[in-house]
Amino acid sequence: MQWTRKDLLSIYDLSAEEITCILDTAEKFKEVSERRVKKVPALRGMTVVNFFVEPSTRTRVSFELAEQRLSADVVNMQAQASSLLKGETLLDTVKNIEALQVDLVVMRHSAPGAQNFIAKHLNCGVVNAGDGAHEHPTQALLDLFTIREKKGGFKGLNVTILGDILHSRVARSNIWGLLKLGANVTLAGPSTLVPREFEEIGCRVCHNLKDAVKDADVVNLLRIQHERQTVGFFPSTGEYSSWFGIKGATMDLMKKDVLIMHPGPINRDVELASEVADGSNSVILEQVTNGLAVRMAVLFLIAGVQK
Amino acid sequence: MNSCKQLFDAAGIEEAISRIAGKIAADFAGDPRGVALVGIQQMGVPLAEKLCEALKSHGMDPEFGKLDITMYRDDFGTRDILPMINETNIGFAVDDKVIILVDDVLSSGRTIRAALDALTDFGRPGLIRLTVMVDRGEPEFPIRADYVGFNVSLPADRKVKVRFDETAEFGCGIFDVQWK
Repeated sequence: MQWTRKDLLSIYDLSAEEITCILDTAEKFKEVSERRVKKVPALRGMTVVNFFVEPSTRTRVSFELAEQRLSADVVNMQAQASSLLKGETLLDTVKNIEALQVDLVVMRHSAPGAQNFIAKHLNCGVVNAGDGAHEHPTQALLDLFTIREKKGGFKGLNVTILGDILHSRVARSNIWGLLKLGANVTLAGPSTLVPREFEEIGCRVCHNLKDAVKDADVVNLLRIQHERQTVGFFPSTGEYSSWFGIKGATMDLMKKDVLIMHPGPINRDVELASEVADGSNSVILEQVTNGLAVRMAVLFLIAGVQK
Repeated sequence: MNSCKQLFDAAGIEEAISRIAGKIAADFAGDPRGVALVGIQQMGVPLAEKLCEALKSHGMDPEFGKLDITMYRDDFGTRDILPMINETNIGFAVDDKVIILVDDVLSSGRTIRAALDALTDFGRPGLIRLTVMVDRGEPEFPIRADYVGFNVSLPADRKVKVRFDETAEFGCGIFDVQWK
């Protein structure tokens, strides 16, 4: 298959074939980080700007390392230090970045669709590193990569996504990707955070932990965002934990070879007990390693179609 | 494709492989540094496999590796079609070793330039030599092959294809292909 997109904005836009192309490419890049010289010259002479209007540590560091391992020149911009604070519009800011002959912009923004908007106005490539509650495509791709590596494929695989689905861009990107690749998706958590509307796009919605996990091949946990608690989506983190937290005892209800995944940062002993997070079913740190390979693949494919 | 002429057949390839293996064995059999054959993706890989086999009859048992040079190309971002990346697998220490790089055709020399960069990212080989099945004789870079199956002189607009598999689109052999 021939990659033709100059931007990566969402998983929703991609075909199953395009997702597979990224995963196949990432497989080859994983090996690069195991070499003595962990760097290839593919993006030599190209400049990438990481423009994070919303704070991020792990995604930004992962992108930055991916860019460096492809030999790109990297500039990091943060909203706090940008002229957005002086009243400049987002479009003016990114147009100014592009005027410096930049080849790629990796952007995180709190407004859903912000990257789609700037991609329309820029000739350079745009990679979505998270836009509000809309999508986080590279996180989903690294989750898909990890699942494929461990389980061999997606057809008929039971994947449960557990937690705050309502506010989660990671969940949305994962749902689109998993459905396109033929997995069965169960969304689970309290009914305030897992609305029935998700059944309309082909997911099973489940408000009981035991039912949600007993047939699962993969359980992908989302962080319970403390800031949501004040709004009253659930009574307390303690109560959430007792109903929906994964503990050592929960493991007895599940398949022996279930994969436990989490995009981080973990609230230990809220959504996930330490004994499980650090246990033999957990692939949480492998997800981080795979994220680097996936981001190298995305940047490589996108930079490769530019003229 | 509007013409495809066979230049050498399967027997010709067999003969060339055994001739090259004889020369490599004469130069490196018993070399204390150890010998490794590294095939460049894609068609250098089956050739390197066949050479490894042939070297066994000379009492050698070389290491074997695969190298993909897509990430090292000098035309990245300028081609209409981005080639797919193939597997790289160098499962041995290259330090101080005798490395025989293997490719099907030496044409511009740019692939070999990229392969040298890729290979030296794995360590510091003691010595690198180049084997090709076909040397087209007009490299754009100062790069020459040490072991050559056949010298073929053809106009630049023609492609030389080497196939080791009877089930390939034009069968096994070396072909002069002219595209429209």
